[in-house]
Amino acid sequence: MSFIALFADFIANEKPIVCKYQGKVYFPILKEYAVKLKLAKFAPELNNIDWADVDYDFVLRAPIPYSPTTQDILNFGFVSPFGKQDVPSVRWRHWLGTEGIGRDILSALIHGTRIAFIIGLIAMSIASIIGILLGSLAGFFGDTGIRISRAAFLVGCIFVFLGLFYFNAVDGLFMGILAFLACMFIAYVVSRPLKLIPFLKPKMNIPVDIIVQRMIEVLVSIPRLFLIIAVVAISKPSIFLVMVVIGLTSWTEIARFIRAELLRIRNLEYIEASEALGFPRWRILFKHAIPNALSPVLITIAFGIAAAILTESFLSFIGLGIPPETLTWGKLLSLAQGGKSQLWVAIFPGFAIFLTVTLFNLIGEGLTDALDPRQKK
Amino acid sequence: MLKYILKRIVLFIPTLFIISLLTFFLSTSVPGDPVEQMLNSNSEMGSSAKAVAAEKAYIAKRKQLGLDLPTFYFSISNQATPKDLFVIPKKFHRENLAKLIKQYGNWNEISAYYKALRNLEINTGSVITDSSNADALIDIKAGIQEILIESENQSIQFNLNKIEKLAVTTGLPALATEITNTKNLYASVVSKATTYKNYIPAIHWYGINNQYHQWITKFMVGDFGISYQDEKPVKTVIWEAVRWTVLLSFISIFLTYLIAIPLGIVSAANKGNIKDQTISTSLFILYSLPSFWVATLLIMFFGGGDFLNLFPSFGVPQPTENMTFWGKFFNYVWHLTLPVICYTYGGLAFISRQMRGAMVNSLSQDYIRTARAKGLNEEVVLWKHAIKNSLLPIITLFANVFPLAISGSVVLELIFSIPGMGKTAYEALVARNYPIVYTVVMFSAILTLIGYLVADILYAVVDPRISYNKK
Repeated sequence: MSFIALFADFIANEKPIVCKYQGKVYFPILKEYAVKLKLAKFAPELNNIDWADVDYDFVLRAPIPYSPTTQDILNFGFVSPFGKQDVPSVRWRHWLGTEGIGRDILSALIHGTRIAFIIGLIAMSIASIIGILLGSLAGFFGDTGIRISRAAFLVGCIFVFLGLFYFNAVDGLFMGILAFLACMFIAYVVSRPLKLIPFLKPKMNIPVDIIVQRMIEVLVSIPRLFLIIAVVAISKPSIFLVMVVIGLTSWTEIARFIRAELLRIRNLEYIEASEALGFPRWRILFKHAIPNALSPVLITIAFGIAAAILTESFLSFIGLGIPPETLTWGKLLSLAQGGKSQLWVAIFPGFAIFLTVTLFNLIGEGLTDALDPRQKK
Repeated sequence: MLKYILKRIVLFIPTLFIISLLTFFLSTSVPGDPVEQMLNSNSEMGSSAKAVAAEKAYIAKRKQLGLDLPTFYFSISNQATPKDLFVIPKKFHRENLAKLIKQYGNWNEISAYYKALRNLEINTGSVITDSSNADALIDIKAGIQEILIESENQSIQFNLNKIEKLAVTTGLPALATEITNTKNLYASVVSKATTYKNYIPAIHWYGINNQYHQWITKFMVGDFGISYQDEKPVKTVIWEAVRWTVLLSFISIFLTYLIAIPLGIVSAANKGNIKDQTISTSLFILYSLPSFWVATLLIMFFGGGDFLNLFPSFGVPQPTENMTFWGKFFNYVWHLTLPVICYTYGGLAFISRQMRGAMVNSLSQDYIRTARAKGLNEEVVLWKHAIKNSLLPIITLFANVFPLAISGSVVLELIFSIPGMGKTAYEALVARNYPIVYTVVMFSAILTLIGYLVADILYAVVDPRISYNKK
């Protein structure tokens, strides 16, 4: 599966992998990557040519000679995989049929694999970063673990506010983040001398656990799909946004697990030992505590990837979030809804979703069994 | 125990408060103007009287919906933005002014320019149309509308020059001077830019007469407002939707538990052999099947496709008065079979897997060995001794299922077009029908919180070893 996701461009593409055209050898697919990255341009004689219809001297084509965007005008309007197809040879057959405007389904499926994988992996990476960070802070430090001086707290509050303000005021995401970080730095510099004032010196607790628990509660109480639909429906369709939104809403489970795990771990003897050795607490947390708490999180991540892929295909199924020109599994499936007797349009993408979800669920299941001490005998 | 419950309930308040803020601000940052959508006004090109009437209707509607108030108790903005920007009625104009402020940061000049532009709009409308200037007037009006929602320097100047030229050539000197005047005002906006003001934070205080306060206070006494689309009270809309969702959910939850528990027990009793493996594998496959795919396929195969025309592909039963009881009953069954199948199978897989786990766990306990040792037959051990303890986690799962049942399954309701909570909420969201969105979100939040609380309490009630008092 990941092989398909990685090499989608080589498996299904209307451009040949290697070709000899007018006496020169080209690698059009590889070249296309360079063109997309703006490193190179297609040679002028190759611009605006129809890759499928050129008289090559020699050609090695991708196994499925259709790009997901290619529209086969001879075979449009839901051509069945078993029916008669107007194609030059068996080589050009649409093995899984075509959809309404003549795009090859097999090709779309293969490229959809990549989108599904990217969404699953990136969404869950975002979720696990947030989840592990917040969960471990809550679990390890509890309500009394983090103590900062009043000076740092006051200055911190003011500058977080200012940071958010300038984050908004400056144009562009990158500049915004830069402005925010600058504010944080100034806050750090300012708070140091202020600590010398006696009133501002005493330390106070930051109830991390309560804050994180409330955050989880808020996110869990709003129906998740609803939240995702809300954000996706109001903004421009983009795959990136879908990934971020899924990631931002699915960290709660991970945070809960790692919190519970760290509540147990922080009382273990080896943590005490490293405290006795005088290691800073952050180091203990990141180097000693978190690595031991990660195993239950892996299970959640495996199930989470399956859930993220499901969410994405559902979103594109109802036509939200994914730009119209991108064909994903969910969108293929929604195309099947239009009319009758287009079973192949419904069955194949659905089966692809099912297979991937089962795969990740199986991984999760396997991890659960492997990591459950009760089942080891 | 009571103390624990009270503590939890008190902690609900900040959570609900944050949720209400979150939904509220998500909705205010949404593009699109609900008032415009409701009135569907396209009278900008009409006669002046009509335009004035439309404007009045717009302002009245805005007032009726309470959108003429500031959004929150206070606002955090910058020195360049005036405190009373919200007074400007049209949302698109307001957004455009905000863009201009961001570019130039001088509200006095911008507001003078905006006022001149609005006057120009009204005066253009009141020019008497005759055959010589009709086309030009339409072009000028269109040009003004464009400038009103334009923030880019070049486009504004281009449009201003264009309408000025039009006014001069068609012989409308009064308008022409006014346009020149507006042009000068715009020039001073550009020349007297004070962008630095954008970088000085400012907090404006509005007091309790704001949109959020109005909404939340009404919400707390049970007044959920009116739906923007059809002007029905939200309460009725939601009540009608809840009926279907609750009906479907209860049927499917009942079926789920009815099938899942025996399945789980059978598979745990035969742990490891072929029976267990068959059940487990098929449940696992069921668990991974995406429900919207299953729904699509079911409709294709059984719902009036080419294969079997057994069930209707969508909709809900609409029993007529003269139907007999059994007629009504079969009408319901006929319509609801496919949705219920889809609702049930996923939960079925989940619950029986849980049941199997719990059962396997309790079968390995000592007391089961004792029961077996004293010669009880296997049936009695299973159905009398083991089942009691393994049912407990399943019962507590019910508390989590409950809120889910209310918020409904957006997916299936959309596919089968059942007018339940999920579909209503989805449609309200897409149509920016906020009163419904708020209410649905708040209710599902409250129910979820109660569900979790009940689950926690049930844990303690059914298993005396768990105590919350130590905390």
